[in-house]
Amino acid sequence: MHLKQSLITLLHSKDFLFIIAFFAILAFVPILVQDNFFLTVMTLITIFAIYAASWNFLANSGQGSLGHAVFLGIGGFASAIIGSSISKAAVSFLGTTQMPVGGLSVAILILALLIGGLLSAGVGLLIGLACTRLKTWYLAMVTFGFSVIAATLSSQFNSITQGIDGYATTTLVTKGYPFYLMVVLFALTSISIMFFIMKSRMGLAFRAIHGNEAEAKMIGINTAKYKLIAFVISTFFAGIAGGLNAYFIRLIDNSVFSPANSFLPLIMSVIGGLGTVAGPIIGSIFFVSIQQISTLPSVVDSLNGALGAYFPNVSNVGPPLSLLVIGVILIVIVIFAPKGLISLFHKIYKYLMSEEKPKKVKIK
Amino acid sequence: MDITAPTIFLTLVWGVVIGCVYILLATGLNIIFGVMKLVNFAHGQLLMISAFLTWTLSVSLGLNAYVAIFVSMIVVALLGVVVERFTFRKVLGTDKLNEIFVSLGLIYIFENIAMLIWGASSKQVLSPFYGMSASLPGLSITYDRIIAVFVVVGALAIFGLLLRKTKIGLAMRATSQRNTTAMLMGINVQKVYMFTFAIGAALAAVAGGLYGIIYPFDYQVGALPTIIAFAIIIMGGLGSIKGAIIGGLLYGITEQMATLFLGGTWGSAVAFALLIVVLIIRPIGIFGEKGE
Repeated sequence: MHLKQSLITLLHSKDFLFIIAFFAILAFVPILVQDNFFLTVMTLITIFAIYAASWNFLANSGQGSLGHAVFLGIGGFASAIIGSSISKAAVSFLGTTQMPVGGLSVAILILALLIGGLLSAGVGLLIGLACTRLKTWYLAMVTFGFSVIAATLSSQFNSITQGIDGYATTTLVTKGYPFYLMVVLFALTSISIMFFIMKSRMGLAFRAIHGNEAEAKMIGINTAKYKLIAFVISTFFAGIAGGLNAYFIRLIDNSVFSPANSFLPLIMSVIGGLGTVAGPIIGSIFFVSIQQISTLPSVVDSLNGALGAYFPNVSNVGPPLSLLVIGVILIVIVIFAPKGLISLFHKIYKYLMSEEKPKKVKIK
Repeated sequence: MDITAPTIFLTLVWGVVIGCVYILLATGLNIIFGVMKLVNFAHGQLLMISAFLTWTLSVSLGLNAYVAIFVSMIVVALLGVVVERFTFRKVLGTDKLNEIFVSLGLIYIFENIAMLIWGASSKQVLSPFYGMSASLPGLSITYDRIIAVFVVVGALAIFGLLLRKTKIGLAMRATSQRNTTAMLMGINVQKVYMFTFAIGAALAAVAGGLYGIIYPFDYQVGALPTIIAFAIIIMGGLGSIKGAIIGGLLYGITEQMATLFLGGTWGSAVAFALLIVVLIIRPIGIFGEKGE
């Protein structure tokens, strides 16, 4: 009964309609702009929106992870390996030489991604169990420690993961627009589910823990249980994002566990707006766009032409320059707009609305 | 390498040496945390910048590497003042998370500036004692590693004297106890913060110079040492100098022993596993006190 009621309120909520509309637009934009580079950027944005949203979901329960790359990696390796082995079995069953891309292969990919997510959530459960007693810096350190351990383990079990040279994924969905469409569907589902949970009673408990854990405990919330649930849900979706990422770049190696990948969802969420639904998406759009545009040949050429002479030790000034800009923007946002870009949009919106009000008075 | 008694002893010494570098970094982080209640995740990037500065000074100006460390220490301390003034001061006292976000921004800025200036290739500072080592029966230890330990002990001693015997040290200790009361006693807390950050940065700079002499480094070298220094502080208990020293030695020795017995890739993994075990058993660290 309760679930049904909250589903109804969800369907009526403005934010949810906004999410649906946004992803609908997202799905159709690449049809209008027929461009490979644009499609790549859009796909990356959507994948990392899921990843950032999963981090943001965990942060919403008061747990800031500095090792989310563990789950991006586990999801990636697991779904890549599972997808390959299932399709190998299917190939020998069908008697063909290669996996035909079609309904079956799409089903295999979805299955592999879900199993990858579940495995990631399983590891998340174990790590979460170790973390329920820890807070703030302590939690950040321990989660980071796990990302170092994960990188070591994956290179140690190289015969399975091939993490040193990289594990090449099997093509299960045609690359380009079909794959993008699938990413958008996954993003829509994942972000909607996380949004739904955030709006439910459970989400209320998460926010209560975030606000003040001792008080939340006092009013009868089982804080350890809810923190663990948040960890498992968040790591499940981070695993899904990892799987999509692996299938998109068609190769996954140990560098996926790098600190940079752990910091990524945090930076995206903060730039966009921490704790909001749209924040991680906006952050992902922002981050990925800057990073990808700096790799465009025309941009690279003009940057190297203008600045190359000053930096003789670097062959390509684009990537470091773009990350430098992101660092500066992050600090500027934290200092001047701590609620992220979305708060700026709200301010601009309010400003525009407030200018119209006096006009209405005049008409009266 | 065969595992014999001398190799184990040598590994122990290496563990102490790298542990000393970590202790220096951790002490800087710890004093900044103690006085300002601020966690600077970009602390290891100061180490990295200092390693590069030491390299540039010793290669292009032909300075003695150990003199270069001293010069680089002053430059990085000034850099610390600038960083404190224009970034951390703006977010101090707001949400705790903002400090982590600002330091992540600083990590991106420092690393990419270093990459733009010095490139992506790995470098090592050439010390005047390069290739020379003290021979003991069955093993030899490079002079640089021995000097590193003495430099660390010296730096910590100077730091301890500064904290205990000088007026600014007294002000720092007072501010670390309660900044509002310190303010009422006529201490310029803002100035103390600036000085504390500079001292912390200077300690990181010394650690960076020593690191650059002992190990090859590149622009990404700072990330792991920060986390390690932080792990050491947590392991020892936040705010405890004694804890940081014991934590640092424990970490360094564990890391080197794991490398010897299990292979190179296991070094940091085992050391972090130790941290995780310590924190699960005792969430406030070995010497930590309840409350903060």
